[in-house]
Amino acid sequence: MVADTVSAVAPARPQIRIQGVVKSYAGRVVVNIDDTVLGASPIEGLIGPNGAGKTTLMRLIMHSTALDRGTISLLPPTGGEVVLSSQSSNRMAHHGVVKSNQVIMDFDRLTVLDSLLLAAAEGTYEQPHRIFSEKTVYRRHKDEIRHYLDFFGFADPTAFALSAGEKKLLDIVRCLLLKPTFLLLDEPTAGLPEDLTDKVMVVVRELAAAGTSVVIVEHDLNVIWNLCDEVLFMAEGSVILRGDPQSIRSHRTVVEKYLGEGHV
Amino acid sequence: MTFDFLDSFLITGLFSVVMVTGLALLLHLQLGLTRIANFGVVGFWGIGMYVFGVLYVKVDWSFGDPYQFLVCAAIATIASGLAGLLVGWLIADLDTDGVLVVTLGFATAVQLVATAQDDITGGARGMGGLDFPFDIGKVKDNELLWLGFTMAVVAGILFYVWRVHRSPYGRHLIAVGANERLARSLGKSTSRTKLWLFVIASAAMGLLGAMNGVMVRFLDIGNLGIDITLAAMAGLILGGTARVWGAVVGVFLTVGVFDIVIQSYLPLPREWYTQAIPVMREAIFGLTLIIVLLFRPYGILGDMRRDSLMRKIHGR
Ligand SMILES: Nc1ncnc2c1ncn2[C@@H]1O[C@H](COP(=O)(O)OP(=O)(O)OP(=O)(O)O)[C@@H](O)[C@H]1O
Ligand SMILES: [Mg+2]
Repeated sequence: MVADTVSAVAPARPQIRIQGVVKSYAGRVVVNIDDTVLGASPIEGLIGPNGAGKTTLMRLIMHSTALDRGTISLLPPTGGEVVLSSQSSNRMAHHGVVKSNQVIMDFDRLTVLDSLLLAAAEGTYEQPHRIFSEKTVYRRHKDEIRHYLDFFGFADPTAFALSAGEKKLLDIVRCLLLKPTFLLLDEPTAGLPEDLTDKVMVVVRELAAAGTSVVIVEHDLNVIWNLCDEVLFMAEGSVILRGDPQSIRSHRTVVEKYLGEGHV
Repeated sequence: MTFDFLDSFLITGLFSVVMVTGLALLLHLQLGLTRIANFGVVGFWGIGMYVFGVLYVKVDWSFGDPYQFLVCAAIATIASGLAGLLVGWLIADLDTDGVLVVTLGFATAVQLVATAQDDITGGARGMGGLDFPFDIGKVKDNELLWLGFTMAVVAGILFYVWRVHRSPYGRHLIAVGANERLARSLGKSTSRTKLWLFVIASAAMGLLGAMNGVMVRFLDIGNLGIDITLAAMAGLILGGTARVWGAVVGVFLTVGVFDIVIQSYLPLPREWYTQAIPVMREAIFGLTLIIVLLFRPYGILGDMRRDSLMRKIHGR
């Protein structure tokens, strides 16, 4: 009976609650969110004009940027609450909260395989005295790594990622190997060819179906309208509208501020 | 007589090559993989040497060698490791400039303390009374055997470093050096990594310091200057900061060529040895450093090649 009440209250998938969060740069408020919950729908799209604060919001969630004010917490489906904004950025992945980067981020000296093994490797195997654990880590993760390498068609994993597209894709695969329960994607398909964009979307759908909450920022609105269950419209640091793709697409404010007349 | 004089020089020369190689290998983990420029090598090494020396000479141990050596060296190693913990904690969130200031400042502090606490350390007068933990006859034989022990320790360090390159730990260090932010977003606790790296490398530097104390059998604060750090840096950078064998090749070409070939085999006037040669040595090492950094920043062996390494370990 008690258990029933708890499971009825607890969300079915992880959610992130953003309360009273303010972030400004040089006196200019860039993010200002009163109270918003992300992750109620499997896949949520976050859209808005350039400089609206989408990337900054995601960075605040990951705590890779410090908040001026406010709290961000994770509400796991099992109940309870984890205050993310009081923990250091390296803890986020342990809570299943993972973000891909809009701007290309890579380890310049590591090969594709290195990068993926790094993402997959558990901390215990990376301790200074575990100098014989490479084979173990490889054995534990080679199948999932191989799966993604084949799926996305990486030619030679022992080489370095060279093109911008390859690095972008590598960034996403690293995120996938972290087995996220809450995945933030910041323009994942920018710079990717169409076939790869489609493949990323396939993976995102699979993840969401398996219980991961996905929030995706995209300027390619076809992706948003096709993929998302809910769309949040952000402008000047705040989420000013949210709703299903159809209603957002035809909303006056969105059309005026972002899409431009004649888009619909 | 002349032959004896040269021979003893050769042993000391070889010893410094081996010891500096050890230091450069440890520095390679910090500078080459994790891109933390530790300019305080001499501080950790010096703490090891002095803690060892003072304990060995001043404390009235109820047991003799080799246990006296082992206990003193173990405490010295731990002391340097703790210094590494402190410095590692201080630099964990600093950028390159901050690391430079803290590590240099740390090394200077070690020298100042050793000088000021002269009732314990002998200060500027120095302190004798150290000895080999064994006696197999002539001094030269003892020195040769000690050289052998030191070689074994440095070979151990070399093996460790070689394994680190082939382990998840090494990959983690390289990732922290290449893009700390990204590493953190993958759940890697980069501050803790740096902390432990400093503890381990500093402890091993301290052990080498203690072993140096045994070899020279005299504590001299003149050794706590920049020489040792400079020698390890110049050697490592000449050979290649990012390569396992960089330290070995580079130190052989710097300290080896200078301390063995030039000092032992060139007919230099004897009065040069106390004044001119140490100055010349520092000038040449400094110059080497500058030239390499300008024209070949990854040294003779070049940057690491993770692609061929991965191919070798895991196949294509
Ligand atoms: N580190 C920073 N220092 C100063 N200003 C910043 C910083 N990061 C972001 N900004 C500013 O904050 C505002 C919001 O930037 P943000 O990157 O979050 O926007 P965005 O919605 O992701 O835009 P885009 O669609 O172009 O990616 C911008 O005006 C930007 O110039
Ligand atoms: Mg952005």
